[in-house]
Amino acid sequence: MQTRIRKSMIGAAFGFAIALISGGFAGILAGLVAGLINGYVVPEAEPLADKRRAIVQGLTVALVGSVLTILGIVLRNVVIDPIIGVPLNLIGVAIAAVGAVLLCVLVSVVMCVVRTEPPARERIGMAIVVGIILVTYPWLDQFLNLRFMNEVIPVLVFLLMALGLNIVVGYAGLLDLGYAAFFAIGAYAAAMVSSPHFGLSLSFWLAIWVAAAVAAIFGLILGSPTLPLRGDYLAIVTLGFGEIVPIAIKNLDNVSLSLWNYPLFVDVDLTGGTKGINPINRPWLPIIGEFSPSNPIPWYFLILGIMLISIFFISRLRNSRLGRAWTALREDELAAGAMGINTVNVKLLAFAIGATFSGLAGAFYGAYISAIFPESFRFDVSVMLLCMVILGGLGNMSGVILGGIIIQFADRLFLPQMSTVVQKLIVASGNESLRDINFASDFRLLLFGLTLVLMMVLRPQGLVPSNGSARVLPVAAGEARHD
Amino acid sequence: MTTAMLELQDVHTYYGNIHALKGISLTVNQGEIVTLIGSNGAGKSTTLRTISGLNSPRTGQILFNGTRIDRLPAHEIVRLGILQSPEGRRIFPRLTVLENLEMGAFTRNDSVTMKEDLERVYTLFPRLRERIAQKGGTLSGGEQQMLAIGRALMGRPTVLLLDEPSMGLAPVLVEQIFTIIQDINKQGTTILLVEQNALMALAVAHRGYVLQTGLIVLSDSAAALQSNETVQKAYLGME
Repeated sequence: MQTRIRKSMIGAAFGFAIALISGGFAGILAGLVAGLINGYVVPEAEPLADKRRAIVQGLTVALVGSVLTILGIVLRNVVIDPIIGVPLNLIGVAIAAVGAVLLCVLVSVVMCVVRTEPPARERIGMAIVVGIILVTYPWLDQFLNLRFMNEVIPVLVFLLMALGLNIVVGYAGLLDLGYAAFFAIGAYAAAMVSSPHFGLSLSFWLAIWVAAAVAAIFGLILGSPTLPLRGDYLAIVTLGFGEIVPIAIKNLDNVSLSLWNYPLFVDVDLTGGTKGINPINRPWLPIIGEFSPSNPIPWYFLILGIMLISIFFISRLRNSRLGRAWTALREDELAAGAMGINTVNVKLLAFAIGATFSGLAGAFYGAYISAIFPESFRFDVSVMLLCMVILGGLGNMSGVILGGIIIQFADRLFLPQMSTVVQKLIVASGNESLRDINFASDFRLLLFGLTLVLMMVLRPQGLVPSNGSARVLPVAAGEARHD
Repeated sequence: MTTAMLELQDVHTYYGNIHALKGISLTVNQGEIVTLIGSNGAGKSTTLRTISGLNSPRTGQILFNGTRIDRLPAHEIVRLGILQSPEGRRIFPRLTVLENLEMGAFTRNDSVTMKEDLERVYTLFPRLRERIAQKGGTLSGGEQQMLAIGRALMGRPTVLLLDEPSMGLAPVLVEQIFTIIQDINKQGTTILLVEQNALMALAVAHRGYVLQTGLIVLSDSAAALQSNETVQKAYLGME
């Protein structure tokens, strides 16, 4: 019982934070999140086989989740809102509170009951619960007037990249600090063939494959010189690659090439330089027509589809011969060679396949914002992706997704929202000197750094470690080996 | 009639500028246990590394069943049936015993024969069966050595290269390991054994080579080496 309540605090804390920071009807979403997290975490710590006891379990965790969520709603909508100048709407608060409790109870009870099923059915049941939430989310967002959709889509793009990076770092144990370069390469490859820039204007559905293929080829190009390198040395080379690519893209706006004094092409604008490439073709589908920038729903389902297919392929890869070879490579390269594993090919494939998913993400991202600039792919993108992978747990897809969601939503939604609220509070308090502090932009990198440091110290295996085995960063693992 | 299964002809191996093997020639016949003895830095491990393709010889030839293998990459040499239990054991510390053994069968990918081979390894090393779900890194030194040998056996070697199987083990365990090495050999696996523990190595081997600073200084039957005065003085600790 004590563990049950203690573990329930995890989801409850999320519910409290979301309700407090986002305000308005986001409290209802907060209840849903609290219920979902507790419905997953608590039965994991306290497994039950009995349905009736599971319902009680679900109600207990929902109680803890709802109480804190309502506290968040009240604190925000009743206490803070009037201070920062939002009129108090008691009926709205009541609706948010009731909605939050209903969703929290519903989701936690369903999850707790699902978790009593035998493993195979349990997995299907959880997939259905998560599937329903994912599919209905856009309408929930619209209905509650949350306007989170424009952030949810880039979050999914980054999650896709984190999954790709997880192949390289988590599965194969190759620390890659320049992974954003493949995002850039994929985005530019798609943009070049799917825009009026070269007059090619291919359909998005073709361009995305071009992007994946080009990114994979560049994965091989980066991979080959790093073959004899390990750990920190590899990290530095990839770091360099990640710096070179955006700079090269910035300067490839005026390319001339001649072969034995015979000019092949003169002053060709490959990448648009700092101006980038703009516009980029948007996807088109029958019935829906061309995806519109004002309606995020088709984009949401497109990136969700790409994600699901990628997750399917990556989990198959993980359990394949190649996946096992990656494991051996990560654990001990010399021993892997002694097992008859072609370590050269296996490394190159990790880079190439990892890069492919980043290429897909890049192609989607370019089409989504219909423009790309070299500045969007800097080092901090690589660092953020690495944070996502480490926070969740190296080598574990569900961990990476969880870590990614936390970091991305913190970065894109909660920091800016919190910053707005804090700023308004400062204004209301009349303290002029603190007016210019902007949480979102000023403390962003500090918070990432802090997350990384805290995770490394407190929980190096991540929030959700893979198969219970402690998998740590390749650099740290390399020190344990005697080579 | 014995046939040469593995043959080294005047092999020279370098680490950068360091001339580690200065012309090694040796043969291992089918069904034999051949041991390479010698002190630290004599080039014993380098000889094994050169055979298994982890280092490539600068000059000289290595023949396996009459075909040259000295220019093949390591993973292809494994595919030919030359498997190594590397120096320092090199088991996968964060994989379980079973996962380690499965890794050993990587080149085959055949679940039926894999089960048979697992049974065979568990029969040779009952301790591993008890530790099946334990992480490799948490095993004792002796168990890790068993795992390293078992893992190499999973690749169905025709020639098994063992690098210092007695290293760091208690005397009781050393004896146990060497008995098992003899069992493996009786089941038909040819073994090239590198050892500092010359006493034990010569007791189980058919023939032996004595290595000194990259050169073979003596070669004879194990029994003859055991009674050789120089060997007795230098490696067996007898006066």
